[in-house]
Parts: sequence; structure tokens; C-alpha cells
Amino acid sequence: MNDDLQKKISEAIANPQNMGELANADAVGTVGNSDCGEMLRMWVKFKDENGKKVIDRATFQSFGCETAIAVASLATELIRGKTPGEALSLKTEELAGELGPLPPMKIHCAQLVEGALRSALGGEETKPASGQTAAPTLLDSFSKPKEGVRITFLDEPK
Amino acid sequence: MRDVLEKFPGAQRALFRRYHIGGCSSCGFSPDETLAHVCERNGGLDVNEVLAHIQSSHEQDAKILISPKELADTLKEDKSVRIVDVRSRDEFEVVRIEGSQLLSQDVMRQIMGDGSNTRPLVVVDHQGKQGLDAAAYFMGHGLQNVRCLRGGIDAWAQEVDTGMRRYKLS
Repeated sequence: MNDDLQKKISEAIANPQNMGELANADAVGTVGNSDCGEMLRMWVKFKDENGKKVIDRATFQSFGCETAIAVASLATELIRGKTPGEALSLKTEELAGELGPLPPMKIHCAQLVEGALRSALGGEETKPASGQTAAPTLLDSFSKPKEGVRITFLDEPK
Repeated sequence: MRDVLEKFPGAQRALFRRYHIGGCSSCGFSPDETLAHVCERNGGLDVNEVLAHIQSSHEQDAKILISPKELADTLKEDKSVRIVDVRSRDEFEVVRIEGSQLLSQDVMRQIMGDGSNTRPLVVVDHQGKQGLDAAAYFMGHGLQNVRCLRGGIDAWAQEVDTGMRRYKLS
């Protein structure tokens, strides 16, 4: 990651906007799950503006990486005042806003935000391998509960 | 992808470290997908470049490893090193490296959100397999100073703390 992007992410992280649960939210969307340590949940509240339903406020909670938090912070500001349709039409790179183009390894973090937004606003959630069985992930390899395993010592107590 | 993973056991780690692919359910892939398809739906990555990266995955895994002796020496000099143990709680309670933390959701959140992506992090497992996956997972999230204990705590018990009991899982 280049220094400029890291600086922008650090700035967004230092003062994240709209973090936390939104009381009386009209819609909630979640992508990922907290068991795997990578989850983003978004709450949205609407208001009526000149006869149109627009987003009054959106908040988020993330157990993901710092890029996801930075993008969610910017995106929840960006969608304020937009109709659900306008918000859903935003592309991943638009949600990342002033962070600018993200390197390939960070695009997924922004997609996490897009997925939560789609889930909240009733659109289709982005699923990487929809309709197919997913291969075990790295996270599965080291974070699944290890049950029924017996420990046998190889030596006598020292 | 099934064939790719069979031929290059470290491919998934290599993919996640650099491209954030295959680490968790949100960025996972199907064994039936082709590499070209995975590249296409992840921002149109160059298949040849990704393939070259996968082909060097074994070499890259080797660079992440830290020997028990080197870790012991590092711990004497650098108190900021965070040791994360990815074994089960039962194993952790039986034997562990002093100062290490058992990986939990809280610890995961601390690691991801402590504001530093350069703090040294060493992953410990039983015998050196799952630790590599965990190290790749953290590196794929942007952490820049991640190592994995070569041979896990079993090697630590043989090469550094010879009073530590060794065990097997059955």
C-alpha cells in the first residue's frame, strides 16, 4: 500500500464517522459474520424529503480491517441525503471516495461495505462464488473450534 | 482452483497475502472455479502475474518462518513483539510460550484495530501448518511484520524450552 493511501486511511480511522448501532433504524444489513472476525453491519434511517424517501443517517459496526472501517466511515457520509436507488447505484470505488483508487488487495474491504449497504437497502448482496460450494478459507483453517481432539503427552513430566 | 491448490499447497496463502482472495467467506472461491474466473471477478487481475505469484508461494512461505532460536533472541531484545497462539484452548492451557495470547475474536479485533500495521506479530501453532495460514491472513489485511514460528510450539519445546512437555493430538 502506498504511503499516501495509508495516510488517508489512518486519518479516516483516527476520527471515524457514524460508528456504532443506530437506534430506531429502518433497515439493517450485514455482510460476513463475526465468527470469522470479518463482518460489517450497517444501519440506515430514512426521512421524507419533498415527497422522496432519502437516507437521513447511516451508521456501521465493523470487525474487519482498518480499510473497511475507513471506507464505511466515508460511505456512510456519502449516502446521506440520497435515495436508496441512488445509494445502490454507487460503485465500489465511489464508496471509497477520497481514499482514491484502492490496490487489488484492498478492493475486497470496500466490497464489504458495498455488500452491507446492498443488504440493508434490499439489493442483492455480492457473493463471490454464488451458487457454488466455497472452498475452505484460510480463516477456516485456524479459527474453527477444535473439538473432540485429545492431547497425549509424548514424555513424562519434567 | 482445486487443481491449483493441489499442485501448489501454499497458493491460497499467496493469493490472500497479495490479493485478499480466499481468506474468509466474503472473499472465498469455489474449488470448481477457474483461476481466470477468480482473477476476473477480483478486479480483472492479470492471470499470468497471479500465476507467477502462486508459483513462488513455497519460497514466500519460507520467508515468513522464524526459527525458535531467532524468536527467543528477538523476544529478549524487543518487548513489542506480540505472540498469537492459534491452537485450541486446551492445548494453550497445557503448554504455551510466556506472554503469548490465545487467538479469540477480541484478540483478532485488537490486532486489526490497534492502529499499527508494523508491530511485530508471531503466530504459533502446534507444528507449523495452521500458523502459516493465520500469518497469511494477517498479512492479507495489511499487517507488514508477521512471522510464523517454524515447527510450531513443538519445535520450541525441542530447540528452546526443553523443559516444555511435547504432545500429540489424536
